[in-house]
Amino acid sequence: MSLDLAFLLRVLIFPGLTFILFLTMFCDWVERKIEARMQNRMGPTYTGPAGVLQPFADFIKLLTKEDIVPFNVRDFVFRLAPILSFSIFAFAFVFLPIDGVSVVSNSNFEGDLVLVLTLVSIANFFLFLSGWSSINPYSATGAARVLTQFLGYDIPLFILALAPAFLAKSLSISKIAASQFIPFAFVVPWVFVLFIITLQAELEKDPFDIPHAETEIVGGYETEYTGRRLAFLKLSKDVQIVLGAAIAVELFLGGPHGPVFYGPSAFWCTLWFVLKLLVVIVLTEYLTCVFARLRIDQALVINWKLILPLSLLSLVAAVGVGLWLYPLR
Amino acid sequence: MNTDKILEALSNALGDGILQTRTLRPEKVCVQVKVGAHRDAVKVLLNQDGNAGISAITGVDLGKTIELMYHIRTCNTIITISVNLTKENAKIESIADLIPGANFHEREVSDLFGVTFEGHPNPGRLILPEDWPENVFPLRKDFVALNFQSKMENSEALKDNGRHSIDERLVNIVFGPQHPALIEPEKFTLKVDGEVVKEVKPRIGYVHRGIEKAAENRTYLQDIYLVERICGICNACHAACFCQTVEAIMGVDVPPRARYLRTIILELNRIHSHMLLLGHVGFEIGYETLFHYMWRDRERVLDITEELTGNRIVASFITIGGVRRDLKEDVISRINAELETLKGRMNFYRQLFEGDSTLKMRTKNVGILSRQDALRLCVVGPVARGSGVDMDVRRDEPYAAYNEVPFKVITYDEGDSWARLMVRLDEIVESINIIQYALEHLPSGPYRVRVPRIVPAGEAIGRVEAPRGELFYYVKSNGTASPERVKVRTPTFANILAFVKIAEGGNIADVPASFVSLDPCFSCTDR
Repeated sequence: MSLDLAFLLRVLIFPGLTFILFLTMFCDWVERKIEARMQNRMGPTYTGPAGVLQPFADFIKLLTKEDIVPFNVRDFVFRLAPILSFSIFAFAFVFLPIDGVSVVSNSNFEGDLVLVLTLVSIANFFLFLSGWSSINPYSATGAARVLTQFLGYDIPLFILALAPAFLAKSLSISKIAASQFIPFAFVVPWVFVLFIITLQAELEKDPFDIPHAETEIVGGYETEYTGRRLAFLKLSKDVQIVLGAAIAVELFLGGPHGPVFYGPSAFWCTLWFVLKLLVVIVLTEYLTCVFARLRIDQALVINWKLILPLSLLSLVAAVGVGLWLYPLR
Repeated sequence: MNTDKILEALSNALGDGILQTRTLRPEKVCVQVKVGAHRDAVKVLLNQDGNAGISAITGVDLGKTIELMYHIRTCNTIITISVNLTKENAKIESIADLIPGANFHEREVSDLFGVTFEGHPNPGRLILPEDWPENVFPLRKDFVALNFQSKMENSEALKDNGRHSIDERLVNIVFGPQHPALIEPEKFTLKVDGEVVKEVKPRIGYVHRGIEKAAENRTYLQDIYLVERICGICNACHAACFCQTVEAIMGVDVPPRARYLRTIILELNRIHSHMLLLGHVGFEIGYETLFHYMWRDRERVLDITEELTGNRIVASFITIGGVRRDLKEDVISRINAELETLKGRMNFYRQLFEGDSTLKMRTKNVGILSRQDALRLCVVGPVARGSGVDMDVRRDEPYAAYNEVPFKVITYDEGDSWARLMVRLDEIVESINIIQYALEHLPSGPYRVRVPRIVPAGEAIGRVEAPRGELFYYVKSNGTASPERVKVRTPTFANILAFVKIAEGGNIADVPASFVSLDPCFSCTDR
């Protein structure tokens, strides 16, 4: 089999792994800068123009640090969890159309939305395992919190993701993205709002950053990690945030599709995609800044008593809208 | 007067149990009783007033004997019950069952003076390391400095940390000595069942610097700078309390201008401390925006402190006989302008604390300390006022210029974390008003009087309402340039017991938030 250069380029460089990494770092910088400005402080300033290189610097610094595997941890899982969670999050990007088509031309199939959401769950489970494998009580508590929180919030997230699928009459992410002449965020805004809130919980951001509440359980599941393993755990958290935002973009904001002007459509599509991604990230950062952290029991009560019924209701309402938009033939 | 009535009640109850009565300056009564009669005496004093509590227990080495002084806070004053114990047989019945707030005071005296309190509920090391040699008591006069290096850092405490306790369901979570929620090192071992705290074991003494001992070897002037360094945040309160206690022994009258300037710096200290705390609470409950906002506004207070004293944090402003710097006229308007801005910001924060739902979810009905418990545990300051105990040294026993400045004492009845925070928020506004009043009515005249370096023999008690509550000083002079004994009882030392009370039965996620709402300061606690 001859080596397919174009295929390799797409997987490894653009819009594959390298692009995703750079995008993650960039989004990390945007997040930190926006959060800092909202909190009346500077944020990253010195590394690169306006501190844009700070996430790279942090990542590289962590890579150079001493790598310690503590005594008595479950060695295999402890070493494996950060790598696996990162790779699964990164792999999920293969199914997202970033420059108009998906990363690998024939990777899309009817139902890849379900696959991506499942991958997110599995990767989250590895984050849980990373804490569970260390013997530290802070890690154990943090891990238990990851699981509790994310088991609860995965259900409304799935339910809410079905609303755009219904409107687009497809379970394929690229078809959902392509079918949005008007972004679904405007067609069914209540679903979008709920989705963003659920996403906050899924991404462990305020008011749901309970699994790594540093004043209660130090680093949560990351407590015993150092060096390059910590670097990859942090990176997988960042990729998760971008992935979460990207799913929101694909499902509710029309994905990479937008007006194409002069030049290659891949450029414009990527531009629209990144811009929409930043909109979602600004939204989530805003929520992070205006809320205090809830307690785990409060978060669960909100989940089961508020978000879950609301998401079911909003799905029903979205179905109603869908029937009105596309009357059954 | 009040005091006479109390003395009458005492003599009726004790009869010939009373050995002698002497005066601690300024106008405080010290009643010496027989060993064994002290429990009855304390009982009588506690029954005098519904809000009565214990302020401190002071030990003084008198050569052959050790004098124990129980400073009981009752009827807006302090009555002292004193007992003399021989060094050979330094044993006395505990009063911790009468008033649970005496628990830590007794353990401290037991550590530092070697007095055994019989019937104490949980005796043991409190201040000194676990492997400190037996029969070496640092605050006794015959103590020779020993080259002690703790080999097994808190061996007993370390054994305690085994993650698997006897009951398999319970996990020990160790909160400190190094923990992101604690700025300073102190250890609390929490036995946790799932997310519920079952038991709390406090252990303090990690930053014990022996300041009370060090103060005995320095001159009074040097001691001012020493006590200022007990706590960085409420440094002016320590200096003010020490100075007014020494002034009471000397019988020095502080000029009015100095009294007003002291009031200003004390209130600036209060604003600074409260803002620091309110921001810190934001951090503890994951509300980092509040933390950053609050601490940025706090900078204004530091700027004002700098204008007034020349220093931003440790003011070094108050001295025996007055203050060290005068306030220039042109600075007043600048300070006023800054205070006005601060007041506006406080309105904003008040709306936030009253309106923000997540903040209220984390603080309302969390860490409830009932009024009864607050009195039993003898808590002080905003913690007591948040539980509806109406006490404030500034009003009960005015010092500096507080008898001339109008102000309100803020109390809330809820007793939860939120109430304690609201007390502080309202007190900031009240403090701003006090400063503005003081600036407007600042008397002219000298700002200090020169005092001799040698202090006549005598003893005195001083109390100041520090940001965290009642600060208590006892100074004994032997007629030289150095004090014979300096006793410091800081507000947090009185409030730590309340933490054990409010944490038990609560949620582990509430521990940092409810703990910080007490505004603990460990460098104060350990001294």
